[in-house]
Amino acid sequence: MARMKFYCDAERCIECNGCVTACKNVNEVPWGVNRRRVVTIRDGEPGERSLSVACMHCSDAPCAAVCPVDCFYTTDDGLVLHDKDICIGCGYCFYACPFGAPQFPADGAFATRGKMDKCTFCAGGPLEDNSAEEFRKYGANRLAEGKLPLCAEMCATKALLAGDADIVADIYRKRIINRGASVLNRGVSYQNATLRSPSGLSGRATSKE
Amino acid sequence: MIGDLIDGPLWYFSAAVFLLGVLWRVFEILRAGVARDLAPPRAGGSAGAVRALFSRFLPRRSLVKTGKLQLIAGYMFHLGLFALLFFAAPHVDFLEERVTGFGWTPLPHWAFIVASEVAFAGLLLLLLYRLMHPVTRLLSSADEYIGSVLVFVVMLTGCLALARSFEVLRLVHLFSAELLLVYFPFSNLMHAFTFVISRSYTGANMARKGVNA
Amino acid sequence: MRSMEETRWSPAATNCFHLFWILLLAASTFLVIPGGLARAEGVEIPNPGADLWREVRQRDATPVPVPAPTTGIDLWREVRQRNAAAIPAGTTQVSGTDSAELINALGDQWRRFRMEQLVPYGGYVLGGMVLFVALFYFIRGRVPIHAGVSNKVLFRYSVYERMIHWFIASIFLFQAITGIFLLFGRDFLIPVIGHGAFSLLASASKEGHNLFGPLFLLALALIFVRFVRRNIYEKGDLTWLLRGGGVIGKKHVPSNFFNMGEKSMFWLLVFAGGTLVVSGLILIFPNFGQGRALMGLSHAAHGITAIVMTAVIIGHIYIGSIGMEGALEGMKTGYCDLNWAREHHDWWAQRCENEDKILSRDQVGRAGVHSPEPAAGQVVEESGK
Repeated sequence: MARMKFYCDAERCIECNGCVTACKNVNEVPWGVNRRRVVTIRDGEPGERSLSVACMHCSDAPCAAVCPVDCFYTTDDGLVLHDKDICIGCGYCFYACPFGAPQFPADGAFATRGKMDKCTFCAGGPLEDNSAEEFRKYGANRLAEGKLPLCAEMCATKALLAGDADIVADIYRKRIINRGASVLNRGVSYQNATLRSPSGLSGRATSKE
Repeated sequence: MIGDLIDGPLWYFSAAVFLLGVLWRVFEILRAGVARDLAPPRAGGSAGAVRALFSRFLPRRSLVKTGKLQLIAGYMFHLGLFALLFFAAPHVDFLEERVTGFGWTPLPHWAFIVASEVAFAGLLLLLLYRLMHPVTRLLSSADEYIGSVLVFVVMLTGCLALARSFEVLRLVHLFSAELLLVYFPFSNLMHAFTFVISRSYTGANMARKGVNA
Repeated sequence: MRSMEETRWSPAATNCFHLFWILLLAASTFLVIPGGLARAEGVEIPNPGADLWREVRQRDATPVPVPAPTTGIDLWREVRQRNAAAIPAGTTQVSGTDSAELINALGDQWRRFRMEQLVPYGGYVLGGMVLFVALFYFIRGRVPIHAGVSNKVLFRYSVYERMIHWFIASIFLFQAITGIFLLFGRDFLIPVIGHGAFSLLASASKEGHNLFGPLFLLALALIFVRFVRRNIYEKGDLTWLLRGGGVIGKKHVPSNFFNMGEKSMFWLLVFAGGTLVVSGLILIFPNFGQGRALMGLSHAAHGITAIVMTAVIIGHIYIGSIGMEGALEGMKTGYCDLNWAREHHDWWAQRCENEDKILSRDQVGRAGVHSPEPAAGQVVEESGK
């Protein structure tokens, strides 16, 4: 079975927030909820990097561990989804999550947070695939239509990758090799070599393809 | 199944019992009439009636001196209950949908909760006062306890259903409210309506006698 | 698009077209580069990756120098560190609590605390306390009034005092039960009643817990103001503690209106209860934007103090009800048996005797209607508050 993963390539992410917009649009998430966000480290300094973050669909998800009503489940695709009919909006998943993925439609006094909402990898929820009810509660179920999450599909620089972990890893590995190759060829890193393409190596130094 | 019963027929039944019961009780009180006062009145009664009706929302001075806590608790409970009953967003929605056909501006959620907290504190303290004070314990009959406990249960189930996302909890709240509605006209809870009659009667009576009360 | 282009343009024309664009691009590059280079020379771009590769290529035997943690892999290593202080601050366009924080390092600590410490050890403490109380009951039995129930009583708690006691008691009980549901329900209730039913119960518990929390603050304040004077430690309390409140040995340990145990219980209530209230308020007002770190800490403080307090209250309930004859009477009717007072609060009983405050049960009468004297005192106490 495929194991779905996100990967964001920090060397490519340009902080355009296209993924955030795509996510909000396709899932019609409530006001105030951002299933995906772009975080920039060292903004404005040399070495600035941006990364698009959402639920990383952990293997051993902390949110699922701490949930007092046990509303999380892991699908065959390795996605960590939750049941909003079970969720009581306590906010524990938000405390535990390393990535700040769980979001709440409200943050009112007396802990009226509403049901937790988070990235579903565009895979909906426990309800019937692509039913109106599922869309209202969980957003789009693109996986059931054979499509990948829209955030990654929309990424202009292809920094954000989504899909089967093996394929994502392959793509990323090739990129790393390319970058390494450009350094080998020119003696500088690919970062300083963006004006001209490397002449000798095509980036398939060790790959058999 | 049971949910449909609570949401539908039982609601109409309890609302009808409440409405007819209250009308009947008020009608009975008015029909009983007033004993004829043979003495010539010193002044008209209506001014006194109106004055008594409103002035007695404020406590008498002697009460302020002796029983501060039950006085404060009494105000807390009644004002809190009034606010949360008629100005909580879910209640306004319910009344608009089922009763009036129009809505009004509800309290923000936090104010609704503060109001219910104030009401809960007042009700609990009053109930405990009733149980703890030897005099009120002697004076209290089953009616008072049933009334207090029913109101408490309605408030508690309402509090438990605050998330507004579980139908069962809403139905439990609605069911307890229906029980209260059915019980209401036949109990001391009728003071919510009869206070108008009793106050204005006393006020009018006193005004006719020329007593400033 | 491309097929259209190919039909309309001959290959030669396409090539010319491409050449034109390339020339234009090159021209613009020549215009741009010198300025860009001039500017770029001023900025030293740290590039440990390049140095690394250069050294690898040169096959230099000298060890690879560890580059300063500025970019690339080192940045991510820094971000991923479990040490929250070392994580560089980020920025984001998304507004929300802690949105700019890339990795929440405390989250996993909090998870481990709750799942591996609070839930199991909290359960052991509470279960152990219930077991302990049961064992104590079976071994020591009910503490009787040794001199028997007398015909005389002492006025102990006014109406107001009993009211606020039962007020805080009912709120605490409600909070404890709903809190236990939320803490242990997943392990004990979900296997029994299933996810859906437990979700109902948990939602009700959560809403009730959040609503009644602030009332506990009110109750705590009333209790504190009323009882603080009688709960200040005094001479003799240490003896009481050293002799285990009479459990060790047979002799009664003298004490005043409240004994050392009751005083400690009071101060625990004040401090643990205060912690509960403060941490609880932090947790139920997420609208003020406090971060996850503070909320996780508050939750930890709330959990620990709640477990301790509940365990102590289990003992308190035991000793106040089935554990000791005559103990509940004072909080129920306001009057306690004279012999009970002599055996448990002898200094206070002695003072009452000296002040001639002993009443007979007949004076107190049915349903606790009392004689004029304490009634007058009661009125003064209530209104003089």
